[in-house]
Amino acid sequence: MKSLISCLALAVFAFGSAVSGQVIRIGVVGPMTFIQGKHHWQGATLAAEEINAAGGVTVGGRTYTIELVRVDSNEMQPGPDAVSAVERAITASKVDFLVGGFRTEAMLAMTEVACDYKKIFLIAGAADNKLLQGRVDKNYNRYKYLFRVTPARSTYLAQAAFIQLREVMDLFRHELGIAEPKIAILAEQAEWATPIVTFLSLQINAPLAVGGLGGRLVGTWRPSALATSLTAELTAIERAGAQIVFTVFSGPVGVVFGRDWGRLQIPVAAVGINVEAQAQGWLDATGGFGAYAATVGIYASGVEVTPTTVPFIEQFTSRFGELPLFTAGTYDALYILMDAILRADSLQTDAVIKALEATDYVSTIGRIVFDELHDLMWGPDYVTGIGVQWQDGTPVAFWPREWRPDPQKLPDLVISAPGTVPYVIPPWVRDHWKGK
Amino acid sequence: MYYVRYLVRYLQNEVLVLPSRVIVLVFVASLLAFPLLTQDPNILRTLIVTALFSLYAVSWDLLSGYTGQVSLGHALFFGSGAYASALLSSHLSLPPYATVPAGAAVATAAGLLVGLPCLRLRKHYLALATLAFPIMLTGFVLAFPGFSGGEGGVWRIARLTSTRVAEYYLILGVALGAVVVLWRVVESRVGLIFHAIREDETAARALGINTVRYKLLAFALSGLTAGAAGALYAHSSAARIVAPGVVLSLFMSFQPVIWTIFGGAATIYGPITGVFVLYPLLDTLNVVIPKYRMLVFALLVLLILRFMPQGISTWIRDAIERVCPSCRVRNIATRRACRACGAPLQAQSPR
Amino acid sequence: MVANILVNGLVYSGVYAMLALGFGLVFGVGRVLNLAHTAFYMVAAYGIFHFASTGFAMPLAVLLTSLGIVAVGVAVYKLVIEPVREMEATVLIATLAVAVLLQEVVLVFFGNEPRHVPPALTGFTQVVGVRVGNQEMVTLIVAVLSLIGAWFLLSRTKLGLAIRAAAQDREVANLMGINVNLVTAVVMGLGLLLAALAGIAVAPLFTVEPGMWMNPLVIVLAAVVLGGLGSLKGSLIGAVILAFAEVSVVFLVPGGSYLRTAIALLIMVCVFFIRPEGLYGSSIAEER
Repeated sequence: MKSLISCLALAVFAFGSAVSGQVIRIGVVGPMTFIQGKHHWQGATLAAEEINAAGGVTVGGRTYTIELVRVDSNEMQPGPDAVSAVERAITASKVDFLVGGFRTEAMLAMTEVACDYKKIFLIAGAADNKLLQGRVDKNYNRYKYLFRVTPARSTYLAQAAFIQLREVMDLFRHELGIAEPKIAILAEQAEWATPIVTFLSLQINAPLAVGGLGGRLVGTWRPSALATSLTAELTAIERAGAQIVFTVFSGPVGVVFGRDWGRLQIPVAAVGINVEAQAQGWLDATGGFGAYAATVGIYASGVEVTPTTVPFIEQFTSRFGELPLFTAGTYDALYILMDAILRADSLQTDAVIKALEATDYVSTIGRIVFDELHDLMWGPDYVTGIGVQWQDGTPVAFWPREWRPDPQKLPDLVISAPGTVPYVIPPWVRDHWKGK
Repeated sequence: MYYVRYLVRYLQNEVLVLPSRVIVLVFVASLLAFPLLTQDPNILRTLIVTALFSLYAVSWDLLSGYTGQVSLGHALFFGSGAYASALLSSHLSLPPYATVPAGAAVATAAGLLVGLPCLRLRKHYLALATLAFPIMLTGFVLAFPGFSGGEGGVWRIARLTSTRVAEYYLILGVALGAVVVLWRVVESRVGLIFHAIREDETAARALGINTVRYKLLAFALSGLTAGAAGALYAHSSAARIVAPGVVLSLFMSFQPVIWTIFGGAATIYGPITGVFVLYPLLDTLNVVIPKYRMLVFALLVLLILRFMPQGISTWIRDAIERVCPSCRVRNIATRRACRACGAPLQAQSPR
Repeated sequence: MVANILVNGLVYSGVYAMLALGFGLVFGVGRVLNLAHTAFYMVAAYGIFHFASTGFAMPLAVLLTSLGIVAVGVAVYKLVIEPVREMEATVLIATLAVAVLLQEVVLVFFGNEPRHVPPALTGFTQVVGVRVGNQEMVTLIVAVLSLIGAWFLLSRTKLGLAIRAAAQDREVANLMGINVNLVTAVVMGLGLLLAALAGIAVAPLFTVEPGMWMNPLVIVLAAVVLGGLGSLKGSLIGAVILAFAEVSVVFLVPGGSYLRTAIALLIMVCVFFIRPEGLYGSSIAEER
């Protein structure tokens, strides 16, 4: 009897080690009951299935398949849940790598756990600078495990949004003859939004001659990220005489904005960041009032940032029935990780980190190269993101289109992603400001 | 040798005769011995948070259960303790043995500060006024992000200890010590006065008791305990970051109320039972059925309160023990005659 | 600016007043601090969303939703709250558990995505130079009509008399031959009817999501104590004060509009320093 048990135990042990020896476990971290987390999971699923179908990953002569572990961080209601979910994934589910994450507040804590256990965490979904700044540079040995694959950090998001705002302001100048467009900033009260608001507040009033936007800031409104109505804010913005509203939203308040803005036909054009407006369900969620909303985005219909963009979007859309959100960047994260593992030809953490640092990979959102902070390089040669606007019921890209990143030094450098169309000022806004 | 014999006799005569005392003894002993069984970091972390939250729940019981000053904004104390120690640790890099007492002191001050204006408020007015304080402090935190870290919270907080087991024993030790001290307080004359204030403040005043002083004492003690729990939480391996969405949230304010009422108010052991049943349960549900965890949790709380409205531990204690009608000494329910005075025990408990 | 504050403040006042009146009634008569009150408002918003998206005619959808809410609410009262009514703290937690339960049930059926309910009227009207959505007008009218209806019921009918008597002194009303348990159940139904109508009226204005009950709950609690517990007039005035406080913050301190709730609560606490029993509360009734 005793020998039978030990035999069984041995068999189980042997079986277990054989299986785990051929599997790379990747924890996909996200708020799984929300659309952001759903897309974390779906993006990763797509990549894992593709990689496994292509025969897996061969490292040091052994072939591994990828196994995904769902890590529900429940981070929309921040609390000890996020920390315990990640620790449990590492110690109980024995994940080798982590990808994903959404809210800065939770990510700061979750990445600490990953660093405690020396696990590589590819951040895909949180934009705050300080997830990497002040960590990787100040204490490399502790935080070297962290990399960001999407989106560009807040400063760069602000940069992209700044350029898109300038394009829309130019439209107001040329088409409506408004020399000094008035801008209102409407930003949710959240950590990541504050540097963007500060940056733009400075730029809007600066004259064009010194590289500013040459407009006039009429006010900054900071509603709660959980606000369920923005009618008061929007009528206040209208009263302040704004022509353009610059939005900074990552949460459901973005939907509230789209609905109240379109329903009340507030005469301001929208530009900026609004994560909800990247989602396929945007028009449904806003009751159709969200038409002409615009946002810095990653994916849109028909725009080809790199050769892999369109195939990925088509695959994702046909498989899951909606356009990918930027959190589906876990797809790229998995490929970037596999690319590094193959180059390192090892699963040793330090070797993989070295290989990740040397990454130069063309992903679905642009060319991925990490800087000394382990953060995305941003710019015309790397990742820029796109500008998305809802026109005729679909999200289309209006930027980069005839973009001159550096007209002084490089007057010939003009960037246009194939498939982009011009930004459209909403008709009620045009009617309101025409001839004024 | 004498002490050993004394201890044995004490155990025989005072502890082993009552099931509730045996339960407490076994409970404490198994908590202390637990790391011998497993050192799984997840289980230890859950127990660490459970121990901290017991302290937090006890602090609510002291103020609201005993003294009757119902606070629906207890997160103010937990949060100010957590914030004070986190800010000191993050900005000035003070070690935890300095920041935790400082956090508790700040929370005590918060207790007095809130207690003073609230002396005039009664019952529901008090409950709902206290509800407002953590929300107002959240506004304050959000308004000064440069100092407070804003919504993202404070991080770079020093850890209490280097290993999980050491952290477990440290927090368990502090929690046990604090509970014993509070137990002595509520069993003393002060505790009686707290009861009196809850039952009839006017009558207590008529007896010459300075109820203002005792109410402030309750606020300060409760703030101290909740603040210590919050400060330890800030440094624990479960938090790593102190953000207003966690430590000052409405949920954080309601939690000690749920635990205490679930376990049995004005008992000290009630809130501890509540936390030790509900928190690990919620944590387990989160792994087993994450989608339905709050559903099951709410349903369970509802059912228990429907059938044991006095709380689960009070209900169990009443089921297994009887109070002697003549001398008020507790006896195990199976006894026919009182162990102290020999009077026959009624089949019905006087409660 | 003043016109903006006035118009927007009125719309919010209407919604908060409906919720506060129902909550105040239930507390006044049943001495039940029903933390699940606004959760029923949330369920009503989902009810109207469900019926509207499955193609029911609007009046039928409104009727089904409000009847459903009242039925569920009274059942919950009878099953869960009434048996433990004497223990205030237990009632508090039981109603909180009911609120969480409702939220989770909604979550299971509808998920977390914010939902949209098509407005009864689209477009907007300029009122004294302020842009007001026509749906806001509808909401305000519904609020005013419901409040008038409730006032009529309370002051002009025999049932209203019984309710007011029970609110004033439960024991004496009982002695006078009023079935206070029945009256309490009726009041619970009435309060939830008001909550359901509020939920239906705001569904097209606010995002419908499972967590939408939290913020109104805080405001309603504040409004009711600000006005003085047990005073219906006080509840209404408290609701109006807080609504205007919130809207004023948005217009006067735009960068601080996330502070609207915090500032509204600060006002409540300040009132308490001057009048510990609220604006219209009587300290004598509380002592009893």
